[in-house]
Amino acid sequence: MKIASLVFILTLLVMIVPCDNAAAQDKCLECHQNSGDKPSELFTHDVHYTKGISCAGCHGGNSGTDDMEQAMDKKAGFIGVPKGDDISKACAVCHASSEKMKSFGSSMPTNQWENLQTSVHAKLTLGGKEHIAQCTTCHNAHGIVSVKNPSSPVYPLNVVKTCTRCHANAAFMRSYNPSLSVDQLEKYRTSVHGMRNAKGDAKTAECASCHGSHEIRSAKDIKSKVYVSNIPGTCSTCHSNADYMKAYKIPADQYEKYSRSVHGIALLQNHDLGAPACNGCHGNHGAAPPGVESISKVCGTCHALNAELFSSSPHKKAFDERHLPECETCHGNHEIIAATDKLLGITPEAVCSRCHGERQNAKGYLVAKSMRGWIDSLDSEEQRVISMVNDAEQKGMEISEAKFKLKDVRQARLQSRTMVHAFNEEKFIEVIGNGLKTTAFIAEESNTAIHEYFFRRIGLVISTFILTILAVSVYLYVRRLERNQRRRDHENSHI
Amino acid sequence: MKTLLKKIYDWVDERVEIQGLVEYMGKKYVPVHPHSIWYYFGGVSLFLFIIQVVTGILLLLYYKSGEELAFESINFIMSKVQFGWLIRSIHSWTANLFILSAMIHMFSVYFEKAYRKPREITWVTGMLMFFLLLGFGFSGYLLPWNELAFFATKVGTDIAGVVPVIGKPLLIFLRSGEEVTGATLSRFFGFHVAVLPGIFTVFLAIHLLLVQRQGMSEPLHISSKSERKTMPFFPNFILRDLTLWLLVLNLLAILAVFFPWELGKKADPFAPAPAGIKPEWYFLYMFQTLKYIPGKLWFLDGEVLGILLFGIAGLLWTVVPFWDHKSARGEQNRFVNYLGIFAVLYIIIFTIIGWLA
Repeated sequence: MKIASLVFILTLLVMIVPCDNAAAQDKCLECHQNSGDKPSELFTHDVHYTKGISCAGCHGGNSGTDDMEQAMDKKAGFIGVPKGDDISKACAVCHASSEKMKSFGSSMPTNQWENLQTSVHAKLTLGGKEHIAQCTTCHNAHGIVSVKNPSSPVYPLNVVKTCTRCHANAAFMRSYNPSLSVDQLEKYRTSVHGMRNAKGDAKTAECASCHGSHEIRSAKDIKSKVYVSNIPGTCSTCHSNADYMKAYKIPADQYEKYSRSVHGIALLQNHDLGAPACNGCHGNHGAAPPGVESISKVCGTCHALNAELFSSSPHKKAFDERHLPECETCHGNHEIIAATDKLLGITPEAVCSRCHGERQNAKGYLVAKSMRGWIDSLDSEEQRVISMVNDAEQKGMEISEAKFKLKDVRQARLQSRTMVHAFNEEKFIEVIGNGLKTTAFIAEESNTAIHEYFFRRIGLVISTFILTILAVSVYLYVRRLERNQRRRDHENSHI
Repeated sequence: MKTLLKKIYDWVDERVEIQGLVEYMGKKYVPVHPHSIWYYFGGVSLFLFIIQVVTGILLLLYYKSGEELAFESINFIMSKVQFGWLIRSIHSWTANLFILSAMIHMFSVYFEKAYRKPREITWVTGMLMFFLLLGFGFSGYLLPWNELAFFATKVGTDIAGVVPVIGKPLLIFLRSGEEVTGATLSRFFGFHVAVLPGIFTVFLAIHLLLVQRQGMSEPLHISSKSERKTMPFFPNFILRDLTLWLLVLNLLAILAVFFPWELGKKADPFAPAPAGIKPEWYFLYMFQTLKYIPGKLWFLDGEVLGILLFGIAGLLWTVVPFWDHKSARGEQNRFVNYLGIFAVLYIIIFTIIGWLA
């Protein structure tokens, strides 16, 4: 099979001779045009035709003669219509050779064939004889024009249609990837990108902008442009380009901000694939900025409890009335930093104080002050018991139960941070109270352990004293006994 | 006070006639010579055995055998039971000191040739007790069901499994199955608190009876009667023993307070073995030796050869009174001395290497 392919490629190499006159003297084209053949009609608009490549360039044979037998003589390398992978191989004869491409005056890259082999489209078809996609699948066979030509099927405004010929075909896609949805086009048309594309804006993102062209890989492939951790980089290709974004009047600092955010750090630095990338909030094919009212739904996809508590809190109504974006108002959007207790309360860095003052909305001010006080006291209690447990542990005491309970305190602290979103002081104090009860238990256990430590040492000193006294007494008694025995023996020996 | 004690003594004597025994003990003498110090290690070993029995019984009050209960019950003993930490630490430290003391006792008897006729049975029962002691150590080590114990038992029983012919059945018998599981723990618990103590007590009774009956052996080099010095066994030797026992008890208390025996992490049969798993120090020289023996020697598996060699060495050591005829005749046997020195150095060096490895 490999030898056959090699012979085929070598034949093509011999056949394709760059010659400006080759197309002009193309007898194949002349005859086929006269017979009203559609491919030959399309070929006259083909970029290859303009470069002087004849029909024989791809089909082999001798295009210089009008004798059909000679023209289509297999000895002259005629192969007819290439089938399966031979199609792409025929294209690659020139397109994978920088020398040949230069000879045609083209500076196009020559790695398309190589990239196509690594792509998801290089999987075998159901018949197992050829790859799913050939060059002609997207570029057509005759009438191929430059990608910059609006009539090209891979021109930015046409790409979506080209891709969806297969990707919107449920029956076709089921054969290769049943779990992949086929509604990408539908969603895309609802996205900002899709709507602009439909209006003729060739600058907006289409399929190839995010997925690549020849090198398209599965989204689960770490090398894919749409692999979770690669998505921010892919989006930033356009969205971090201030000049490119200028026309759309949107900022170009989202990637920079995202990289600093708690989500960006989790995904890009800690490689936590559960952390959201751009598409986590904006969607992917249907990418659009979330509306004011839908922000809590977007954030709530992951932060479900927080969103639920917020929705039933008094803040929900107040925010809606003032058209304030829910989560974003306090946490920001792209640059969401790790939420700390400092966000709560009435200090200048606390977000509550932005709306609640001592005189304006005073009730909220007092509640925020009280809640911050409670959470601070749990924090300081937690620190205190941690140091007590460490102290007891360093003294070599068995304190595993108390140490285990520290997790409960941390849990209570985290729970209290979640409970903040209910903006209900009573419920908040209840959670904090549970944490404080646990810290009291840990403190008692640690104190007992530390007292036990000193008790053991004092006990050891006392027992050592008693045992030493006993040992010395017994020893002195034996010495006295032996002295008496020796004296008795001495006296007996004299008698 | 003295009258009260006398009254009690008379009351007991009237019923069980202990006066004869006291008189017998009073007439029993212990040789006094520059090497007399070694006599005390027998007494120390006995004292440590008594401590083991007492602390073991106390631990039994709270210890629960079983995969899900063993670790937790020891944890409970260490943290919640009043003086539980002390009892468990003393039990663990005593186990180690007991083996050390028994080893010193064994080597001192060996070098003094105290095993020679007529004390062959005393030596053999002593050796059998020493092997049982190693069994106590091995079975007791698993009882807390912690990570180190679990994997050490796995390695230890694996080694037992390569013994020719009986290896596989022995491994199944020890583990109560193919793997170290809760069933192994129950089995080891049974060995540790019932089987081994029962057998040990029988040997100990014979051993002590023979020591009392035959008295202490004198070294070979004390030949002339004029050189011989003695001390009464009761009360002199007993009281000197008691002094040492008190000091050992104090040492145990210090060890228990300053170095309480760690419990470690609970055993997880599905977790990978932690790096650097080692057996207890008294098995370390054997373990280290097995590591040095090549995988294949002639037609024999290296590990099998190692175990066979240790088995033969242990057997020859146990039956030394029956092949050391020179000592039995009262002559010096340098070969036995050199063999003993080699054994001591071998154990010390390989234990240190194993410890540092």
